[in-house]
Amino acid sequence: MIKKLGVLLIMSAAVISGCNNSTMEPEEINPEIDVCEVCNMGLAHEHYATEVVTADGEVYKFDDIGCMDEFMEMEAHLKEENASKKYVRDVDTGEWVELEEAFHAYHPDFWTPMANGVVSFKDKESAENYVNEQGMGEVLDYESLENHEWSWEQ
Amino acid sequence: MWRLKKPFAIYIFLLLLLVPVNAFAEEFRVESGRSIQSAVEDAGNGDTILVSPGVYKENVMIDKEITIKGEEGAIIDGGGKGNVIIVTASNVVLEGLTIQNGGTGQEDSGIFIKKAHHNVIKNNTLKNVQNGIYIANSNENKLLGNRIASNESHFSERGNGIHMFKGEGHLLKENEIAKVQDGIYFDFTKGIKLQGNHISESRYGMHFMFSEGILAERNHVEKNVTGLMVMDSARIDFIENKVTDHFHFRGYGILIYETKEVLVEGNEILRNSTGLSLEYGVDTLINRNQIAANQVGLEFMGKNENNTFSKNNFIGNVVQSKISGEDMRLDDGVKGNYWDDYSSFDLSGDGVGEEAYKAGSLYDRLLRKQPYWQFFFESPSIKLWTKAEALFPSFGSADVYDARPLIEPVIMLQETEQLSKDRGIPGIIGILFILFSILVIVKGRKLR
Repeated sequence: MIKKLGVLLIMSAAVISGCNNSTMEPEEINPEIDVCEVCNMGLAHEHYATEVVTADGEVYKFDDIGCMDEFMEMEAHLKEENASKKYVRDVDTGEWVELEEAFHAYHPDFWTPMANGVVSFKDKESAENYVNEQGMGEVLDYESLENHEWSWEQ
Repeated sequence: MWRLKKPFAIYIFLLLLLVPVNAFAEEFRVESGRSIQSAVEDAGNGDTILVSPGVYKENVMIDKEITIKGEEGAIIDGGGKGNVIIVTASNVVLEGLTIQNGGTGQEDSGIFIKKAHHNVIKNNTLKNVQNGIYIANSNENKLLGNRIASNESHFSERGNGIHMFKGEGHLLKENEIAKVQDGIYFDFTKGIKLQGNHISESRYGMHFMFSEGILAERNHVEKNVTGLMVMDSARIDFIENKVTDHFHFRGYGILIYETKEVLVEGNEILRNSTGLSLEYGVDTLINRNQIAANQVGLEFMGKNENNTFSKNNFIGNVVQSKISGEDMRLDDGVKGNYWDDYSSFDLSGDGVGEEAYKAGSLYDRLLRKQPYWQFFFESPSIKLWTKAEALFPSFGSADVYDARPLIEPVIMLQETEQLSKDRGIPGIIGILFILFSILVIVKGRKLR
């Protein structure tokens, strides 16, 4: 009896912690209901989507990395260390990658949902491959992306 | 007499001019089992290729000024790879073809028009293709009466019905588009005219991005996630369109975001989750629209500047308006709009209410912050609250208002004729009924 109660307790604990998202993991995109927090556009091109997950377990979704940057400008308190994690997706596989670790290909003519021209990848190699394939653009890492001027800023 | 002769002479002269070109123009016929591509290679500028009924399994590349006409049952099948037809020449006519089974890459299309102008794509059927018609870096093409459907997957996997990337001067008329991602996508385009297109069961009916100078009239968008999505664009005119049945969880009839100079006139915006939404809209003019039976009629978010509303009918919307953001006036100074929940009086008899109509109750604003409060919608406490707010208007301090609310709904032109016709019949029946009643009463009295 006590054993059963124990199992129940653990299960309920798992359920509660599951709701909390305390690990700050990214959440799956549902194109049917998810829309960009900033521009209201439905997230149809899932592989271009990005997310901000806060320490409180809130998940904000964006259709384009540019929209996420605009959001972070507006919500200054999320910039503090450990307040939030930012995720982008590898455009080829849809794998979630933390923004700090991702590499990006940039050219104003690269297509993205909000025409920011920044396409993200899980490693430097894939980003370079993309630039070579397209025959234009440059590879950006986290630091150069920080200094990048977004189209909405111009 | 010479007056008649002169134009005739000019006509003959013009005909003579045309002869050298036309003398060599030929008409080919491609029979089933043969290749359309090789016919294109044999053809010269100005030639016409007639395609007999049958399935042609090939991808066709058109780089000459030719006309391809399909007879009924002429099917070009791309075999699931690449673009089914690529057009890189100008003055091409494609008519009456069925085009199917293209590739599934992001830009793969039924018909891909690349840096080509003055082409006419008419009465074709495109099905099971990623994008229907893709027009890149091209000007003044005409797309008339085509029927387009993408594949059977979720809309996030499909392409667009008609995708226009960089270019101007296209005319899109009476196309029938269903089950694609976005019906018509405008990507850095300008100077485009849309008339009588019908778009349904897609993500967005029309999706405007970074585009300007577009006129859309008498189109019908229905049962998509959102009807008309306008973002980062300018000078867009919507005239007499029907925007109906967008009941998706995040659906809008018309959503205008960061856009200037939009004209919304004479449209029917019926049965949508949110009828009309403005976010960072500048210089919009919203006139004579029927905004009815939506869950939320009108929504404002963020900052909207210099927008003019007049003579719109807001009827039977569950929530008339949902406001968050800046102050705004909802009339043009002379005439405002008809709001069916307006409860003040017109004492002067000029058709305009004496008290301003306040849009957006305190409850609406609370809903923005606490969506779950929707649960209390129409509950006695909220009703009491709203009533109290109406009696003491300063209480809610809503700053979005219509200073010239109309007492009677604006009757739109098309409907007046029908109404007056229909009104006669019940009148006559009523009179006959009264006469009959009098007859019965008189007869009854006599009998007694």
